[in-house]
Order: sequence, then structure tokens, then C-alpha cells
Amino acid sequence: MDLTRREALEALVAKCAPVATAALALPAADAEEIEAGPKAPVGMLYDATLCIGCKACVVACAEANDLPPDVTLDGLHQAPEDLNAFTKNIIKLYKPTEQSQDSFVKLQCMHCLDPACVAACPFHSLWKNQNDGVVAWEPSRCIGCRYCEIACPYHVPKFEWERINPKIVKCELCKPRLAKGYEPACTSVCPTHAVIFGPREDLLAAGKKRIAESPDKYFENRVYGEHDAGGTQVLYLSHVPFEEIGLPTLGNAPIPARLKWQKRVYKFFAIPLLLCGILTGVMRRNWKDHEKEMREEEERTGLRPQL
Amino acid sequence: MKHIVVRWQRGVPVYAVPLLTPFFLYLCCMGAYSVIFSIYREVTGLGRVTGMNDIYAWGIWKTFNTMVLTGLGSGGFAIGIAAWIFYRRELHAVMRTAVLTSLVAYWSGLIALGIDVGRPWNFYQVLMPWRYNGHSPLLEVCICMPVYATFPLFLENTPPLLERWFYTWPSFRPILVNRIFPIIRATYPYVIALAYALPLLHQSSLGALMLLGGARVHTLWQTPFLPLLYVWAAGFLGFSCVIGVLMVSCLAWKRPMDMSILTILARIMAWLIVAWDGFRFLEIVARGQTAAAFAFDRFSLLFWLETLLVAVPAVYILSHRYGLKPSRLFGADVMIAVGGMLYRVDPTTFAFVARPGAVYFPSGIEAIIAVGYVCLAIAAFIVAVKYLPILPAPMSSWRNLENYAHVVHGIEMREA
Repeated sequence: MDLTRREALEALVAKCAPVATAALALPAADAEEIEAGPKAPVGMLYDATLCIGCKACVVACAEANDLPPDVTLDGLHQAPEDLNAFTKNIIKLYKPTEQSQDSFVKLQCMHCLDPACVAACPFHSLWKNQNDGVVAWEPSRCIGCRYCEIACPYHVPKFEWERINPKIVKCELCKPRLAKGYEPACTSVCPTHAVIFGPREDLLAAGKKRIAESPDKYFENRVYGEHDAGGTQVLYLSHVPFEEIGLPTLGNAPIPARLKWQKRVYKFFAIPLLLCGILTGVMRRNWKDHEKEMREEEERTGLRPQL
Repeated sequence: MKHIVVRWQRGVPVYAVPLLTPFFLYLCCMGAYSVIFSIYREVTGLGRVTGMNDIYAWGIWKTFNTMVLTGLGSGGFAIGIAAWIFYRRELHAVMRTAVLTSLVAYWSGLIALGIDVGRPWNFYQVLMPWRYNGHSPLLEVCICMPVYATFPLFLENTPPLLERWFYTWPSFRPILVNRIFPIIRATYPYVIALAYALPLLHQSSLGALMLLGGARVHTLWQTPFLPLLYVWAAGFLGFSCVIGVLMVSCLAWKRPMDMSILTILARIMAWLIVAWDGFRFLEIVARGQTAAAFAFDRFSLLFWLETLLVAVPAVYILSHRYGLKPSRLFGADVMIAVGGMLYRVDPTTFAFVARPGAVYFPSGIEAIIAVGYVCLAIAAFIVAVKYLPILPAPMSSWRNLENYAHVVHGIEMREA
């Protein structure tokens, strides 16, 4: 029995070691770790130079998503100050000083190609549709840990703090409307077409065309979200710095890439198993010595040895 | 008394002391408050009870009760690895204390975590592996931590209880000796291996949690090595907690102190700190963030406070190989514990700037719940050490206990 167990253990270690090494040092690991993105990502293109700040999209969003009015500001008017448990979409005015150039900005979920919230969520409650790429929340899986709020670089997922059955509130690109063949509520009501809906590729091309048509009109002559944080499905054009209107500089690597080593360590559970195997091996050897010493102690003192 | 060499040889219950003391009742009252307020939190929602908000979505229940308490409760595996894996036999004397502090600290932290999550009824999914997001560090934590606290850590704590039954429950004795003890002897190495593998995994994953926080965690703390630094800090924090618990217990119940074992523990802890701090400095220099450490802003001062709180006592301990005074050791140990706790709490609180201007301050009820569960953990510890042979003592205390138990309870402590 003893021998077979030892053999089993050694076989385990012998099997695990190459897998563990492979998992850690696979040359193609980087390419493999980049998850295949959605097949046909759809999104929105928001052009800050066209937005007149009418907030029709805010109202349409609240109506389409059945959101209660947010009257926290004065107890009377629907006037959200930021994205919150009642607000999935908001228009803000950026005007730092009297003289400076001002700009509106529309904020909602960016529907990242490789979203941080989805990587963080322990039970796939936040999940990314592999077809249209919409990031949605599944209530039956959420444990309410709020890790998504820590992870999202855009501060998008919001938690219903006041409820005993709290939900995560975030833009889901009007998922039910898309299923019926309509476009999202916000893009459908925009009077100046400052925000438009379409396949991500088309929107990207449209954005680049606008930049080409009027060079130096747009900040950095680029579309925010083409590569930022691995690419987003909601794209932005702006005449003021992106950072100023709430679009942080995040680099081109997707946020979940920061968990590269975590993923490698837990790949096939090889390294944890190897760790267990090594600890068991050492323990079995030391345990034998320990039992011997305990017997000696018992003979010496006449007391039951303690574990 | 001071010059008599004391050797801790055996776990001996704290006897000839009443259980119900004013301090114990105070702990129970605090525990009762926290239970009542926890029920209140469950029926009113998180927003009414806590100071948390969408920017600071994690409050002290996660940042203190989970991150810090489980760090303090890492003595069970940290000292265990030294005692069992690196085979420092002399440390076996303190193992029972170490695994008991781990048990109460982990459960206290886990209860707070259970109150913190907004939708606990969905937690049944831990039994549904096909729903796991294997890449999420939080999944690792919320599977691994309860499994560790429920199985290996609990099993590690059963020998003292069975030992008590052996002496107090004569009719149960044959079953214990013939059935249960052989099973324990056969399975113990595997339980131990699991009891050290799991904490290494989830304590590092606790650090990995903040990797997704990115630039929100200040650059002095945010590093790809955060998981390693976190599990390492848990290691020395566990040592410091067990040293502190042993010394306070000895003072409170007038038990003799074995400075040789405490010095060994302190020296291992000090070496862990030297290596940890050294690695941390090298890492900061290698990332080119030296300037941030010397910016002398809020963060850099916090960084130096952490560093000095652990490094100065560590150097002091290492430079006093012989004749370390108990009072000095205790002071050094408290400083290390505070510094280590600060390190564990900083990446999610003081060094976590999610949005300039946003603030989080725990509400009164939130703080009472957090402290109350710590009080319950201490109360559980006191009950355990008064009834079970856990705290180490010289062999003579056991002999005295034999007479005491015989006189007071009519229990025969000698072998049947």
C-alpha cells in the first residue's frame, strides 16, 4: 500500500512537472492568451464636436431601460450628476475655465473587446456576447462582490446600494431593442447624429474619414477606442483631450492582460497540483520522523504525545 | 523567576481561571452588537449601513476584515511550513496556538466577507464548477478560502478537542484510540500538505485582485509582483500575530514564557521581513519608481511608514541573537504587526485612488460590525484555550493540571 501510494505520488509529480513547465513557458502563450474577440462587434461612435448637449439620449435611455428618475440633486428634477444606479447613460459638460474651449461628453459602457469587468467577475455574471460583443449582466450569477467596479477603468458598472436585492446597473447597448432589430435608444433619438450606431468596423472607418476630411480638428487625430485598453466597441472623437472628458489614457494592452501570470499559474491547475505533490512528498517523509520522535517522547515522559 | 530557563513542551489548557471575566463579557457584547447590526444590514441593504459608494466599492469589511485578518491568521501555514516542511521541530510547541489563531481569524474574516457581498444567495454557485471564471482572482479567493477554513484548517484543529474527549469522556476512549487516531495518523500528512498549499494560493490571489485596479493603486504598491509580496507579507504577519498572541496569553494568565522558541520565531520573521523589504526595494528601483518613493507626498510617507515599522524591529531582532528582552520583543512584534497590516490594507484603501476627490469613510455601524467580529474571534480563542490543551507550557504545568483536574472536576488525566 505504502509503495503504491508513493508510486502514485511520484507519477503525479512526474506528470505535473512538464505540464507546469509548459504552462509557464509556452512560447506561444502570449498569442494564445488573447481571447478571440466577438465575431461581429457592434458599437457606437460619439463625436463630441457634433453634440449639442440636449440630453435627449439620457431621457431615451431611461425610458427604454425602465430606469426610475434620479432626483438626488434637489429631490425634484431628474438631474443625475454621474453614471449611477439610476443612470446608464449621461451627458456631461466639460468647461474648465471661462475662456477655454468647452465640450460635451456622453458616457456609458464602452463594451471593451477584452473587458476588465468580465475578467474580474468570478461567476461570469458579467459576460460578453461572442457574436455582437455586448457586455451584459446576468442576475442569477452575481454574488454582489463589486469587483467589477474596482476593475472597470471607466467607472461604468454601478451597484444599487439602497436595495436589499441589489443589481449591477450598466449600459447593455439596449440588448432587447437590438434583438428586435432596433438600434439603441440613445442613438435613435440623437438630433445631430453626434452618436451613431453600427458595426464597429464601419464606425471606425467613418471616424477615420472624418479625421481625414478635417485634419487637426480632432484631438491627436485619432479615434479613442481603436486600440485603447485593447480596443472598445464605443468609439470617440473629440476636439479636447480625451483625458479631460473622462476617457483615461490606458495604453493599448487589454486590462485583463495584467492577469497574465495568474492565468499561467492556474492553467490546467498544474502548478497548484505540483505544489500539493511536493508538499505531500516532503510531509510524508517528515511525518515518519515525527512519529518516531513522538514514540520516543512517550516512552521518556509517560504522557500521551500531542499532535 | 526571570533567570529560570523555561521550556515549552506541551499544550496545557488555561486552568484555575474563570471563563466569565468582564473582558470576556465585553467581547461577547461587541459580538452581539455586530450580529444584530449584521441582521440590520441584511434587511436594509448596504447603502444605508455602510459608507461605501460606487467609486470606493470595497469597504473595511473587505480591506480590513478579509485582507488583514486572514493575513494575521496566516500563522497556521507560515509557522507550519517552518515546523513541518523545513522541519524545525522546536516550533511544534506553538503549532496548536498558530492553527487556532488561523481558524478564528479566517472565520471572522469570512463572516465579514459574507456580510459584505450584496447577493449572497447566489453563492451556491461555488458548487457549480462550470460557472467558474477560472481567470478571476476573486474566484480563487472565494473558493479556496472557505475550503481551507472548512476542511484542512478545521482538521488541523481537531487534535486538541479529541485529546480533551480522551480524558473527559471515558466511554468514547476506545473509539478514539482504535478508530479515529489511526485515521488521523494515516491522513495527517495529506491534510497538512493541503493546509499549506491552499493559503499560498489564496493569499497570493488576494494580492492579484488589485492587479486589475491598474493605475488606481499607487505605483509604489502596484506591481506585477503584488501577489508574491502579499503572500510573503501574510507569512511574516502570521508569525507576528502568533508571537503577540503567545506573549499576551502568557502575561494575561501568568504562564511562563519560553524566550528561546519566541526568539526562533522572531528571527524567522525578521529574515522574512528583510527578504521581503529587500525584494520590494529592488522591484521599485527596477521599475524606475525610485522618485515616487522619495517624493515625500502622502503615498511616499505611507510607504516609508510601512517600511520603517517592519524593517527597524526586524533589524533590532536580528542584531540581538541572545538575551532578547520580552518587553523589547513584544514592542518590536507589535510594530511589525502594525506595519504588515498597513501594507495589506493600503493597496485597497490609502494607496487606492479611484477618482480624485472621491472619499470613503466607514460608517459607525460598519466599524462596529468589523470590530465586533474581531471581538468574537478573540472570545472564541479564549474559550478554546481555557478548555483545550492549546497554549504551550512546561511539562510541570501538565502535572499540576493533573492534580487540579482531579480535585476540581474528578477527571483522571493519567493513561487508562
